[in-house]
Amino acid sequence: MRFIRFIGFSVVRAWQGFWRNAMMSLAATATVILMLVLLSALFIVISGLNSGLEFIESKVAVTARLEDNLSQSRLERLIGEVEAMPGVASVDYVSPAEAMDRLRESYREVGRELDLGDPDSTITIFASLEISLTDPDASGDVSTALAARDEVERVLTKQAEYDTLLGVINAIRTVGLAIIGLVGLTVLFMIINTIRIAVYSRAGEIEIMRLVGASDSFIRWPFILEGILCGLIGAIVTILIVAAVWDPIQPAMVQIFQMPTAVSTQFLTTLSLLLFVVGLGIGALGSWISVRSYLAAAR
Amino acid sequence: MVDVGMTYPNGKVALADVNVAIPKGDFVFLVGPSGAGKSTFIRLLIREQLPTHGEVRVAGRDLLRMRRSQVPGLRRRIGIVFQDFRLLPNKTVAENVAFALEVTGAAGAAIKRRVPQLLSLVGLHDHAHHLPTQLSGGEQQRTAIARALVHDPAILIADEPTGNLDPVTSWEIIQLLIHINQLGTTVLMATHNQEIVNAMRRRVLALEGGHLVRDEAAAAYEREY
Repeated sequence: MRFIRFIGFSVVRAWQGFWRNAMMSLAATATVILMLVLLSALFIVISGLNSGLEFIESKVAVTARLEDNLSQSRLERLIGEVEAMPGVASVDYVSPAEAMDRLRESYREVGRELDLGDPDSTITIFASLEISLTDPDASGDVSTALAARDEVERVLTKQAEYDTLLGVINAIRTVGLAIIGLVGLTVLFMIINTIRIAVYSRAGEIEIMRLVGASDSFIRWPFILEGILCGLIGAIVTILIVAAVWDPIQPAMVQIFQMPTAVSTQFLTTLSLLLFVVGLGIGALGSWISVRSYLAAAR
Repeated sequence: MVDVGMTYPNGKVALADVNVAIPKGDFVFLVGPSGAGKSTFIRLLIREQLPTHGEVRVAGRDLLRMRRSQVPGLRRRIGIVFQDFRLLPNKTVAENVAFALEVTGAAGAAIKRRVPQLLSLVGLHDHAHHLPTQLSGGEQQRTAIARALVHDPAILIADEPTGNLDPVTSWEIIQLLIHINQLGTTVLMATHNQEIVNAMRRRVLALEGGHLVRDEAAAAYEREY
């Protein structure tokens, strides 16, 4: 019972305190929103790029174009040997006919018809082995081994694409986190300052609370909750903003970054959770620092 | 207090070798010129400060060995009122008294029961919904006294309670303090008011330059011999 009264008391006081100095509280909340919006944007871009990366990973990692006219037995032996290589998950044989079908399909996807000119022309399409890997790092070894084989005409890997994308993701993540870190520091100072002003404006009440024997938690928690309130309101507003723009973003995530649709529907929940944690966390941290430094001195 | 000394970090000696025992139910005046150590004396009693040496016991508790978390409990055993009342200007009389209960986690029902009792005790039940600015000085001090009594303290400390009041009002406040004392609460009153001390003939503790220079029962403000 006593604990419930304590919570009630603290929440009411925090709410009053928030509005008592509304300009300052709202300014602090606005910086929280700014930070969280930046964080959301970074999270969306990084998640998208990671999905793209996973998509590339999941696709055939190494393609070996085969020489023409391999005998069935040589082909089978080759497949068997490649399957036995360390790091290889599976090997698929793509016949020239299948390769042609795929080429037609890819043209059709972009709305064009594959035109080979003379329908009777004998364009050679190579047969190939599509090799997926359990470990993307094995790509180098596998391609070297394949290139040394007589049966293999040429080896193609996605390693370069993969490395480029990984580099881009890391760069965006680093720069983004640095910017958010700086904004976060500003937010922290705003909240510390807001709560400090709240503490000062209640100096009289705090003194009386001490004299009549209020425990430290009754004195401190309303201020900590006031800081948390800035973070909470900031998080809620940001979630509403993100939810409002999510409809056009979701298809983009699925199409551009190849994000699985199931993941993209879960995405908003994950992001909301992140925003709540970060918003509440920075509010609590700021007010806690403030309360520690401005209420600690007095007994 | 046993051999209590208090030296501030700047070297100023606020209290030196003070030995005093105040029995339960006593009514004591604490007198002395400004800077004699009266305020320090009071701050030590409510553990707002700790002495540099010596021992302070209040209501059976050793204040030096007390943990920080036990201080609020001590403060509930001690009521305190000041010359400047220290009421919250945006709260009514009843709210000011209730505030002291709310911030210590009292139940709503207990607050509703206790506040009118206290306002009747100090004679302010008709002014429950007035703001401090709508009250006279005496009425404000009565409100402060009601607030000091919310936890039914063993000791009531009054620091110059009549300092801002006219003589007639001062007497009314003293009558109220005597009444509270008769109900069993120990009262310690720091004052410069000679007239009151002389008329009351109660125990007097006199401080000068941090030393307890006089501790007399049924005494006057000045030394009489």
